[in-house]
Amino acid sequence: MERGDIYGFLGQNGAGKTTTIKLLSGLLIPSDGKIIIDCMDMGNESENIKKIIGLVPQDSDFYDNRSALSHMQYYGRLKDLNKKDATEQSITLLNKVGLKDAMHENIGHFSHGMKKRLGIAQALLKEPKILILDEPTNGLDPVGIKQIRELLNEYNKRDMTIFISSHNLLELQGICNRVGIINDGKIIAEDKIENIRHLESNGVITIGIYNLNPKIINIIRNLKFVVKTELKSENVIDVFVNSKKDVKPEINKLIVENNGHVFKLIENSLSLEDAFINATKMH
Amino acid sequence: MNLQKIIVVAEDEMFNGSKSKYLLTVGGIFIFLSWMMIHYSNSIISLLPFMNNINAPHYLILYIVVLILGPLMTLIASYDFICNEIQTGSIRYIISKIDRTSFILGKFLALSSVFTVAVFIVAVIGSLYNLFIFNNAFELGKLILFVVISSLYLNCFISGFLFISTLSPENKTALIMSGVFLGILIFALFKGNDNFLKYLTPYFYGISNIGLFSGSTHKFEFIELFKNIFFMIIYNSVFLSLTSIAIKRRDL
Repeated sequence: MERGDIYGFLGQNGAGKTTTIKLLSGLLIPSDGKIIIDCMDMGNESENIKKIIGLVPQDSDFYDNRSALSHMQYYGRLKDLNKKDATEQSITLLNKVGLKDAMHENIGHFSHGMKKRLGIAQALLKEPKILILDEPTNGLDPVGIKQIRELLNEYNKRDMTIFISSHNLLELQGICNRVGIINDGKIIAEDKIENIRHLESNGVITIGIYNLNPKIINIIRNLKFVVKTELKSENVIDVFVNSKKDVKPEINKLIVENNGHVFKLIENSLSLEDAFINATKMH
Repeated sequence: MNLQKIIVVAEDEMFNGSKSKYLLTVGGIFIFLSWMMIHYSNSIISLLPFMNNINAPHYLILYIVVLILGPLMTLIASYDFICNEIQTGSIRYIISKIDRTSFILGKFLALSSVFTVAVFIVAVIGSLYNLFIFNNAFELGKLILFVVISSLYLNCFISGFLFISTLSPENKTALIMSGVFLGILIFALFKGNDNFLKYLTPYFYGISNIGLFSGSTHKFEFIELFKNIFFMIIYNSVFLSLTSIAIKRRDL
């Protein structure tokens, strides 16, 4: 990961996302290998690493009989803030995540979404260099998601590096600049978000031909940049292509040369979801 | 390990934590029951004729209360101190900010402080009764020894229960395992007269110090006392080290 990145971490259930996050945040001690964060080795300098990270863990609860402010003050003091600074920062952050009015209420009365927002607020205490979020928007309503996205963007602009694990591919697509895909404990793809969509093919071209026949389909299939074809209906075919240049004119010319009557030729770039499915299928 | 963070964890656990009220209540019950025993000590002395020969037996009564009741009270207070945090996941917010050993020592310090204060209050109540109700002389030395020995003795159990709490996957299991652990200690004490098993129980070191409060201080060998204190400190250190190792190996 580069400094200042918003890194999306994708993977199916059981792929190893949460385990990776636990390792990065010191919740799990690695049996093998090294974790290097900001030039520091987790094995020797875990305390220093913990000073520069903020963690929003998945499925973690707070103490029901304590208020949000009391939690924040406690966590602030654990992050070496004095009582006054811990209180001031807590109030500011609770305000930012929309919990200002509920800061004195016991957590027992909080909804799942409110707890998530408190989880994000506590991770932002003392403005860490690196923010690690495990499924941060699970259970949040659209307004809450938007609020969190804006908050993350705001902190990213202040040079905070953000690592987000999520199942919500659309969410990552909207916020991340880099994406890593994990499968069975291994990173199988990692790149800028616009490049990762081109893992298997860089797009799908939907072609409509009035007189679509097996001969034309075979000709298209035999083109060297075509990965695969899928017949959508009697006259429409999806062509998955893998090429960095625009291949639409070449396909069109070939179809016309073989007496095909094209009525539609549209290129759709792959969504992150397609890229994710393709990448995990390939492995 | 960070002393400042250990104190933050301990302070929070005692005054603001999710179990602080519960912890203080258990400490309060311990003080109340001890006070009851000292209040009715004349009746107890009349039931136990050998105590009539002991000068100021009230410390002895209080010490017996600590020996018997103390381990049960520490069990009630500490059995789920760690596993409850692991079970709910609240530990993740803490361990992502501090090291695991500081967390364990903070928890231990909280429990230890509550019971040390409780023992001190019990000792002061005993001294006041001794001085004003039973008209005996005030013995500062006995009060200090009572507090030191009793709190060390209780700390042995606290560290043991914290270790079990760290190993347990859930609260119920921790309670059962702690009960079994206490049972094993009692069994080892009674069955270990002629072998090493008795040395593995804090009960042995606690009972060994009973001579201090039986009114025959001059007969009691102080070398024995220091030996017992030393072994109790070792006992505590071993269990705290084991707890620290156990939490480091746990997937949180």
